[in-house]
Amino acid sequence: MTRAAIAGGAGVRRKERTGLRPGQRVFVWGSLIPIFLYLGVFALFPMIWVVVLSFFNYSPVRVGDGPLGLGGRNPFIGLGNFAAMFADTQAGELFRISVKNTLIFAFLVLAVNLAITLPLAVLVESVHARVKGLFRAIYFLPTISSAVAVAIMWGYVFHPQQGLLNNFIKLIGLTPPKAWLTDPSAFVFGVPLAMVAAIIAYVWMDFGYNLVIFIAALQGIPREIRDAAHIDGATGWQEFRRITVPLLQPTLLLVCTLTMISSFQVFVIFQVMTGGGPQNQTRSLTMEIYENAFRFQAMGWAASMSLVLFAMVLIVTLVQFRVLRTDWEY
Amino acid sequence: MRRSVVILLVVAAMVMAACGGGAPAAAPTGGDAAGKTVLRVWSHQNPSFIQANESVIAKFMEQNPDIEVKYEQFEYDQFIQALQTSMQAGTEADVIEMFGSWVCSYAAGGRLAEMPVDVMSYTEAQELFFAAPLGGYYCDGKLYGLPNEFNLEVGGALVNPALFEGKDVPYPPVWDTMDTLREQAARLSEFDGDTMVRAGFHFVGGDGLPFLLLEGILEQGGSYFAEDGKHFTFDTPEAIATIQLLMDMVQKDKLVDPVLFNAETNQPYDGFFAGVVASSFIGSWAAGQGLVNYPDFEFDYVNTPVLFGAQRKYAADAGWGKVVSANSANQEAAWKLVKFMTAEQANAVTFNGVTGTIPALKALVENPQELLAKAPWVEPTFKLLPDGQYLGNVSDRDKLFYDIIYPAILQALQGSMTAEQAAQTIHAQANEMVDSAQ
Repeated sequence: MTRAAIAGGAGVRRKERTGLRPGQRVFVWGSLIPIFLYLGVFALFPMIWVVVLSFFNYSPVRVGDGPLGLGGRNPFIGLGNFAAMFADTQAGELFRISVKNTLIFAFLVLAVNLAITLPLAVLVESVHARVKGLFRAIYFLPTISSAVAVAIMWGYVFHPQQGLLNNFIKLIGLTPPKAWLTDPSAFVFGVPLAMVAAIIAYVWMDFGYNLVIFIAALQGIPREIRDAAHIDGATGWQEFRRITVPLLQPTLLLVCTLTMISSFQVFVIFQVMTGGGPQNQTRSLTMEIYENAFRFQAMGWAASMSLVLFAMVLIVTLVQFRVLRTDWEY
Repeated sequence: MRRSVVILLVVAAMVMAACGGGAPAAAPTGGDAAGKTVLRVWSHQNPSFIQANESVIAKFMEQNPDIEVKYEQFEYDQFIQALQTSMQAGTEADVIEMFGSWVCSYAAGGRLAEMPVDVMSYTEAQELFFAAPLGGYYCDGKLYGLPNEFNLEVGGALVNPALFEGKDVPYPPVWDTMDTLREQAARLSEFDGDTMVRAGFHFVGGDGLPFLLLEGILEQGGSYFAEDGKHFTFDTPEAIATIQLLMDMVQKDKLVDPVLFNAETNQPYDGFFAGVVASSFIGSWAAGQGLVNYPDFEFDYVNTPVLFGAQRKYAADAGWGKVVSANSANQEAAWKLVKFMTAEQANAVTFNGVTGTIPALKALVENPQELLAKAPWVEPTFKLLPDGQYLGNVSDRDKLFYDIIYPAILQALQGSMTAEQAAQTIHAQANEMVDSAQ
């Protein structure tokens, strides 16, 4: 920096710091402030508000004494909501059940989703270019369907009397389950049948998304590496296991993270298909949050559960990043 | 620099204005330029309720040219959320259509205005309205609004004549006693192997089970409230006997399979109109709704017997009615409208006739011709109305019914609990709910 520049006054110093002229700065700030305000009002403030509410026994039905309706009839209870999560009460028990169900659902969805999408992506990628697009479109179609419509449709498929699935099972001479969605005594390898049904519906709706990501990633793997493997005598399975899967690791990380996050947040499938039943076997954390916040007006309790959901998503995501991260590119 | 600040402030002001653009005007709508008092009314978006309210509001404005009423509606699911957020912001309407069982919690929270005695005293209201619906609007010795309807969920069932054919059961059924009902309805159930394909008598609903439990307790001379009037006594012999009766109807008589017919699948209303239920225990509102939604479906609505003894005693919700916001700047005009919409006989006939709901106003049952011409299916309920008592201040009605009583009894019906365990579970969880609300 020259002596002249230093002595050039505030305007020159600001220009040198930002690289912008005053008019450009006005334009930049004029463009950024609306988006900052938007994020502040609709994202940042609600997040802060959730954190604040989690320390209060707050209900919008009650008029509070302090600012923003807090205090008085909506008293500060410190960590009371978080302590209640471990208490031997119905609320605490439902919270713990919903956490368990959410974890079961998220991990099973991830496993099933990957087991379907990765091999399927390899298969789709291996077919002729003319039909590749067709397959991609067919598999992607459920992804753009309304979640409510999908849940209602699968509800009909699983219906005990008129359902497509039970009638098909009877048609081929087998005995169908008594009720897919409402029988509390039905389990598959220890997983409630209603949960299995919800997973089937959700994976059907969601797997096209991951499929497209995997197909795009497969197309990015250099042809030369595969050719080299062929020359070295690798079989199709060896190529998939030793080359495709390792080179897809960054994509796997992305897919795992996105799938887990969306699975943790699933609400519609459970709300419409099972209502959390039978006997709370499909009650998810998002349902528990929604019901307490908007049906029972226990906003403080719901806010504290939202923070737990946030922590769960954060922890699982960080673990995935740690386990699946790579230090290389191709 | 100054120019930059001005631009930033303008942009900020525009954004703030845009953010607030969709919100309704502030609640205290004192008056417009023409000097009229402007009232805002909110209700949920049931088409028949809208039609009835619009008709009565138009009549009110005709008779009160100095008052303009702006009527706004919300999707039912969004209605509660709209109330919560607007009350927090002070932008709710002056007059709100509210379900009676919600009123006391909003009143206790300071959200609702107390009804002035010069508009109507509680004694006067008792003369005009049935005890059960009025009870929901009377909290801690104060009246907070007036009911439009009597929400009755017991004492009647939809019956499908087609499913009575060939079953050697008279139609329409005359079920004077539970023994008759159980014996006849058992013949209406149908099975494919072990699987029930038609329920003879479906009562496993989210409202059905809780109301049956309360009715059973009351008819045996018991009470579900503890002495303090806030806590519950659901672990009593009366409660256990009622749950056992319901279990016997399922497990011995096979009137309904609670795994295949419950509040989640083949619900009493949906299952009935899907043709897989011969008779469905449900409120008379279902008959009105069925006539609209399934005009070609043949059915009737008949009385069901008392569960225990000879005298029917049951608890009822307060039903929909009108309240005034504590934030309203036009209390006088608002209460005038509330009284006009609920207590005026001609307007009550319009509301109950168009919506097909049971009247809260006694006069409509004493002189029923006009109402029955519009909603004939409500007649079987008339003889039940004087026997009803208000459910009581149960802290959180939906939580008690749908999260506590229904799941516990359902588990008992499905064989996962005994009647004693179900009663103990309800007792513990209901009292926990009361304690956490205090």
